[in-house]
Amino acid sequence: MAPILDDRSLEFISRSPEQTRRLGARLGQLLQGGEVICLEGSLGAGKTVIAQGIGRGWGAVGRLVSPSFVLVREHRRPTGHQRLLHADFYRLEQAQEVWGLGLQEWMEDPAVVVLIEWPERAPEVLPQERLWIRLEFAEETRRRLLFTAEGASYLALLRAFRRAAFGV
Amino acid sequence: MTEEIRMLGIETSCDETAAAVVADGHRILSNVVASQVDLHARYGGVFPEMASRAHIEAILSVIQKAMQEAHVGWDDLDAVAVTYGPGLVGSLLVGVNTAKGLALGRRLPLVPVNHLEAHIYAHWLEVAAEGAAPPNLAFPLLALIVSGGHTELILMRGHGDYIYLGGTLDDAAGEAFDKVGRLLGLPYPGGPAIEKAARQGNPAAFRLPRAWLESTYDFSFSGLKTAVVRLVQQHGGPLRGRTVADVAASFQEAVVDVLATKTAAAAAERGATAILLCGGVSANQALRTTVRERAGVPVYYPPPILCTDNAAMIAACGHFRFLSGERAGWDLDVEPGLRLV
Repeated sequence: MAPILDDRSLEFISRSPEQTRRLGARLGQLLQGGEVICLEGSLGAGKTVIAQGIGRGWGAVGRLVSPSFVLVREHRRPTGHQRLLHADFYRLEQAQEVWGLGLQEWMEDPAVVVLIEWPERAPEVLPQERLWIRLEFAEETRRRLLFTAEGASYLALLRAFRRAAFGV
Repeated sequence: MTEEIRMLGIETSCDETAAAVVADGHRILSNVVASQVDLHARYGGVFPEMASRAHIEAILSVIQKAMQEAHVGWDDLDAVAVTYGPGLVGSLLVGVNTAKGLALGRRLPLVPVNHLEAHIYAHWLEVAAEGAAPPNLAFPLLALIVSGGHTELILMRGHGDYIYLGGTLDDAAGEAFDKVGRLLGLPYPGGPAIEKAARQGNPAAFRLPRAWLESTYDFSFSGLKTAVVRLVQQHGGPLRGRTVADVAASFQEAVVDVLATKTAAAAAERGATAILLCGGVSANQALRTTVRERAGVPVYYPPPILCTDNAAMIAACGHFRFLSGERAGWDLDVEPGLRLV
């Protein structure tokens, strides 16, 4: 079920990590480069799981694993210069530390998709326009996923995603 | 008598600024580590900007100290080995640029070293410690590399010859330790803190899941982490001493159970002559004991100082890369996502 809250948000209950991954893959297939996708949720909510799906759909070589320790992991496709950057602010405590990651350059690069886990730890470095995905524990293996688009291009992305994933 | 080869090793991939001088790939002449753990412990994490700055401030004096303690001057060195990945980009750059400058200025060959491979070479260093590997290890060897950023099972068929058997599909073992440590309100870094708490706890107190991922040598610790999150949530309110110890013990046992079982099975299946435990998490006593109980071959682990990041292992690994003719150009770049295989 995918109740449509309004034009700029979408809610979904996932029953398993694999379902979350498949949903992420649908989104990943639509990414052109230049997007910033924020993945908010507490420990164990499934941020890395949906990132793995997005990476799979985007066409990343190999599997995405948690970037918590190394802060950023760079992924590529078998060919081409496009990149997917998987960042994680979990171990950061001060927003200014994000500058040290060189993330700003990545976020402004149209050939790069940027995924950010724990984005709320450094809200001031995030662009105004972005796709925000909030993941919450529902019960046991279920997770509630809330997608919110900020900005015209992300509204279009969310609409395309809704069509691709739910046919509406 | 042939002249020995003396290698200066430099390591700055993450939290430690380290330099060491090693002779012939096994004799430690000096091993200096300036840790930022104290700095990060205050905040429970790492600071890339601060880490780079701290590396810059420490690197030259650390190198100087390593050379003084080894009683060597620049003319006594044969080459400079440096970590160029994997790690944090800003931190790696400090080591690589320093090594380039020194090698160029002193006309010494520059040898690029993979940090993961170097963790395996910690076993080639001579130390008088319980669990230390003997000289002349026979291949093939099975290496389990477990740290904050890595969990990998590697078959080593010879120097520089590796087969990747499996690795984590989500969280690294050390990362799971850190996250659960934080969840339980234990100090940073989580690994030693959980081990300490676990000693007072009952490992059978909570039934926590193990991801066996049958017929693979892959690992997954994300489900275990989530189970601990649920446990803490259901408890409602902060956990107290006895419960913290029980959760820590149950969690540690779940991690160790999977790591030890798969490592022992891989060693048997691939005909390894010994198991090498490598990386920061291999300092965990429960892991060492359990792998030994389950393995049919000798199990070796370096002393704690050589399990965690250090430059002696960089110099040891650099020695063998040097012998095989490997040299870096002055255009050597860092590779934050470098893999071993």
